[in-house]
Amino acid sequence: MSNALTRRPELYTTYAQDMALLDTPAKRNSVAALAVAALTVPWLVVDPVLFLFAQGFALAIGAIGLNLVTGYAGQVSLGHAFFVAVGAYTAAALTGDTDTRFVGFGLQLVVGLPVAGLVAGLAGFVISPLASRLRGLYLAIVTLGLVFLGEHLWKEWRSLTGGLGAGRPGVVADVGGFRFDQPGEVFGVLMSSQQKMYYLCFALLVVFAVLARNLARSAVGRAFGAIRDRDVAAEVLGVPLAKYKSIAFTVSSAYAGIAGSLLYTLTSVIEPASFNLLMSVQYIAMILIGGVATISGSIAGAMFLGFLPFVTRQAPALFPWISTDPALRDGGFINVFQLEAILYGALIVAFLVLQPRGLFGLWVKVRNYWKGWPFSY
Amino acid sequence: MSLTAERPTVHATTLVTRVRHWADVAPERVAMREKDLGLWQEITWAQYWDTVVDVAHGLLALDVGIGDRVAIHSENRPQWLYSDVATLAVRGVSVGLYPTNPASEVAYLLGDSQARLLIAEDQEQVDKALAVADDLPDLERIIYVEPRGVRTYHDPRLMAWTDFVALGRQHRDAHDGAVERRIAEADPDDVVTLIYTSGTTGPPKGAMLTNANIDFAIRTLADEGGVVSPAPSPDDVVLSYLPLCHVAERLFTTWFNAGAGVQVNFAESIETVQQNLAEIQPTIVFGVPRIWEKVVAGIQIRAAKASPAKRANYRLWMGVAERLGDVLVARGGRHSAVTRAVYAVGWVFLYRALKRRIGLRLARYAASGAAPIAPEVLTFFMGVGVPMHEVYGMTENSAVATANRPGRIKVGTVGEPYPGTEVATDPATGEILTRHGGTFKGYWRKPEATAETIDADGWLHTGDVGEWVDGPDGSPGTHLKITDRMKDIIITAGGKNISPSEIENSLKASPYIREAIVIGDGRKYLTALIGIELDTVGDWAQRQRLPYTTYRDLSEKPEVIELVGREVNRVNQRFSQVEGIKRFELLSKELDHEDGELTATQKIKRQAMEERFRDLVESMYEGSSR
Repeated sequence: MSNALTRRPELYTTYAQDMALLDTPAKRNSVAALAVAALTVPWLVVDPVLFLFAQGFALAIGAIGLNLVTGYAGQVSLGHAFFVAVGAYTAAALTGDTDTRFVGFGLQLVVGLPVAGLVAGLAGFVISPLASRLRGLYLAIVTLGLVFLGEHLWKEWRSLTGGLGAGRPGVVADVGGFRFDQPGEVFGVLMSSQQKMYYLCFALLVVFAVLARNLARSAVGRAFGAIRDRDVAAEVLGVPLAKYKSIAFTVSSAYAGIAGSLLYTLTSVIEPASFNLLMSVQYIAMILIGGVATISGSIAGAMFLGFLPFVTRQAPALFPWISTDPALRDGGFINVFQLEAILYGALIVAFLVLQPRGLFGLWVKVRNYWKGWPFSY
Repeated sequence: MSLTAERPTVHATTLVTRVRHWADVAPERVAMREKDLGLWQEITWAQYWDTVVDVAHGLLALDVGIGDRVAIHSENRPQWLYSDVATLAVRGVSVGLYPTNPASEVAYLLGDSQARLLIAEDQEQVDKALAVADDLPDLERIIYVEPRGVRTYHDPRLMAWTDFVALGRQHRDAHDGAVERRIAEADPDDVVTLIYTSGTTGPPKGAMLTNANIDFAIRTLADEGGVVSPAPSPDDVVLSYLPLCHVAERLFTTWFNAGAGVQVNFAESIETVQQNLAEIQPTIVFGVPRIWEKVVAGIQIRAAKASPAKRANYRLWMGVAERLGDVLVARGGRHSAVTRAVYAVGWVFLYRALKRRIGLRLARYAASGAAPIAPEVLTFFMGVGVPMHEVYGMTENSAVATANRPGRIKVGTVGEPYPGTEVATDPATGEILTRHGGTFKGYWRKPEATAETIDADGWLHTGDVGEWVDGPDGSPGTHLKITDRMKDIIITAGGKNISPSEIENSLKASPYIREAIVIGDGRKYLTALIGIELDTVGDWAQRQRLPYTTYRDLSEKPEVIELVGREVNRVNQRFSQVEGIKRFELLSKELDHEDGELTATQKIKRQAMEERFRDLVESMYEGSSR
C-alpha cells in the first residue's frame, strides 16, 4: 500500500506487525544499543571480567531452560544440576582426548555441543513421565532425588568423571582446528581465549534466548501457561498434560545440557562434587531474582548471580571488617565466602518478599512509569 | 478497470465519479480502514469502487428507480459508504438514520421519507424496523449487514448483505454497464440525500441535498482555501466516529474521502473512540463540543490520579499551557518566538506525551462545530499545541458558512465566510443569512417550511442570531460571532435580552457539569437546571471518601450541590448581574435520547425539558412573585 501509515506504533494492519518481537521503535533502538554494547565489551574490559561475562551468558542459557519448565510451565524442578552435569560430561567425553585415562572421542565442539544438548534432553524426556504424575512439592522432592542419584553416579563412574576430588579435564572448544579456549589471531586481530569464548557464549545465548522466547509466545508457551495456572483447567481446555510436561522437561534439560557444556569449556576441570543441590538452588535463585516466566529476566538473574562473587571479593577493600582469609586471621568479622552465602539468602528472601517478579518486575515498573507519562495509567 | 475506455460522458461531477476517479488514478492506495479481529483491515480505492458497483447493481436488481429512497440505519462502517455512494450511482436518494433512533423515530423517519429499501446494520436495527414495518407500506426490503441473530428470522422482506452483493454481481454480469449509464445520466440538480435535522423544536425535517450542493461543498471546503490549510490530501487520516447521518461527519468522512482522497478509519464504536484515536493518530479531527469537553475532563481525571511527581509536572506545564493559550488566542493562533521556545520545552515534558495519549499527536487540524463550545475548552487545546478551530455550518447550507482559519483564529467567534460565498446578518433581527451554491433544495415534502427558510432572494435563514466582530489583526467586522438560536433567546421580566447558550457553555466547561439549561424567559431572574457529569463527579466523590450508589443519589448529596454551586458562582463572576444564575437545581437523572429529552445528536429539547421538569423549575421561582 503506497500510503501505509507510519509513526503510529499502536496501529496494526497485519498480524506480522502485531506479533513482531520488536514491535516498537523504542524496543528496536534499545535492542540495537544493547547489541552494540555487548559486541564492544570484549575490547573494553580485562580478561577476568570477560570470563565472568561469558560464564554469565552460559549460566543464562541454563536459567532460561529452568525458567521454561519452572517459570512458564510451573513444574518446580530441583534437578537442574543433574542435567547440567549430563551435558557437561557428554560434551567433555565427546571432545576429550582419546589417549588419556578418561573416556574421550576426540570429536569437535560442533558435535559435542549439540549432542550434549540432545543427551541431556533425552534424560529429561526419560524423567518426564514422573512429572506428569506428580505436581508441586512432590515433583520438587522427586527431582531432588535425581540430584542425589547423579551425585552418586558421578562419584563412582571414574572413567568418565575422574572421581571425587580429582575431576577430569573440561570441554575442548575445537572447531575445525580453531581453538576458542586458546589465544590466537582472528581475521588478523589477536584475540585472547576470553574474548573468543565471550563471543561464542554471547552468540549461543542470543540464539537460545530467541528460540525460547518464540517457544514461550507460541501455542506451546500458552499451553505451558495454562498448565502452570491450573493443570486441571488446562486439561479441560484440551491441553494434553503429559505431552506438554514432556516438552517442557525435554527442552529445559536440553538447555541445561548446552549450558553445562559451555560452562566447562570455560573452566578447565570438571569436579564431580559441584553438581549438587546447591547448584540447583543457584539456578532457582537466578530465575527468582531475575523474574519468573521471563526470558530477559532469566538473563538478568544469571548475570546478577554470576557477578555477585566478583562484587563481594571487592568488599574487603572498602570494609575492613570483611576478611579475605577464610579463618579470619587478619581480624575481620566475617569472610567473603560467608558474605556471599549471606547475600544469596538475603537476596532470595528480599526479592520474594518485596519484588516477586524479580529484576524484570523492577524493569516493568520503571518502564510503565514512563510509558504512562504524563498519567499513571 | 477495463471500463475506462467505453464509459459514457458524465453530466455532473458527483461523489460516485470522484470515487471512480480515485480508483482510476490510485487503485492500490488505501481509501479506508476498518478494525476487524484486532487488525485495521485496509480497503483500497479499487476494492471500494468494485464493491460500490456491485452494490449499485444490487440496487438495480431490486428495482430501485431514479429518486427512490434508500435508508441506511447503521454505525459508521464501510457498508455505510458503499450503500450511500451506490445509491447515488443509481440516482436514488440515501437517508441516514441515527443508530440511537428508537423504533418510534425509525417509524417516523422511514414513513416520512417513504423509503423503499432499508439497509440495517444488525439485529438491533432490524428489530426496530420489523416492529414498525407493518405501518410502512413503502418499505419493501430490509438488508441486514451483520447476520448474527437475524439468521433465524423468517420475514420475507429480509435479505442478507452478502446475498445482496451476490445478487448485484449476477446483475452486473447480465447487465454490464447499466450502472455506468445511470452515473452518466446524473444531473447536478438530482437530490442525492436526505439529511434529517435534529429537531430540537418539532419533528425532524429531511433536508434535500443535490449533487450540485455536495460538489459546491467539496470545492469550497476541501480544496485550497477551505477549512483545512494546506488542503486535505491522500496523506491525511481521519477517524470516523460521529453519526454519518449528520452533515458534519458526512463532510469529514464521505466528502473529504471522495473529494480529497483522505483516508477514513472507522472507529469500532463510540466507547472505543479514545483508544482508536490513540491507534490511528489522525491528522484531521472533527469533534462536537461534547467530545472535546469529555477529552478535557478525561485528562483532568487521569492527571488528578497520577503519582505526585507526575502531578507536579502536569500542574507546572498546564499552567504554562494556559498562558501559551492566552497568547495564541490574542495572536489569532500564531506563535511568537518566545511562546514557540517555551512550547518546545513543554513539548518534551508534557505536551508530546499528552497529545499522544489522547490521539492528537499528529493532528495538524482540529475543529469543533455543530454546537457552541466554551472558549475555555478551545484555549485548553490551543495551549497544549492542538490547532483547534471553531467552525460553523448547518445541513441546510451543506455545512458551508464560516470557519476560523489557521493563523486567523478569533476565539468566541465562528470565523470568516469562505471565498465565493455570501454570509450576512439581517439588519433588523440579527439573524444570520447565507447564500451560495450549497443552499439546499428544500425540506422533503414540506414546501411551507422550505419557504420559511429560503427567501425570495435566495438567502437561507439559519435561525441563528449573530454579529460581526473585528478579526485578530484588527480588521473590522471580519469574524462572525453567534449569539444564540433565535428561538432560544431569553427575554426576562425586566425586558433584558439574554443569550442562554453562552452561560450554558461556560457552565458546561466545568468538568463536573455535563448539561446545563438556563431558564428565565419572562421571569424575574435566571435559574438553571444542571446535570452533573457522572464520571468526574463520581471520581471526585471517591476522592472525598463520599459513598454513593446511583446518579440520583450522587446528585442529591449536599456536598455535590455545594461543589456545583462553587462552579456556578465561578461562572456568575464572568457575567453581568442580570445574567447571573440566582438559583439552580440538579437533575436527578441522566438525560437520554430514548426518553425524548435529547435529540439523536445529544442536543437538548428545550421545550420538552421545561415541560418535564416543570415542578423543579417552579420551585426555583417560589417566593419570588412579589
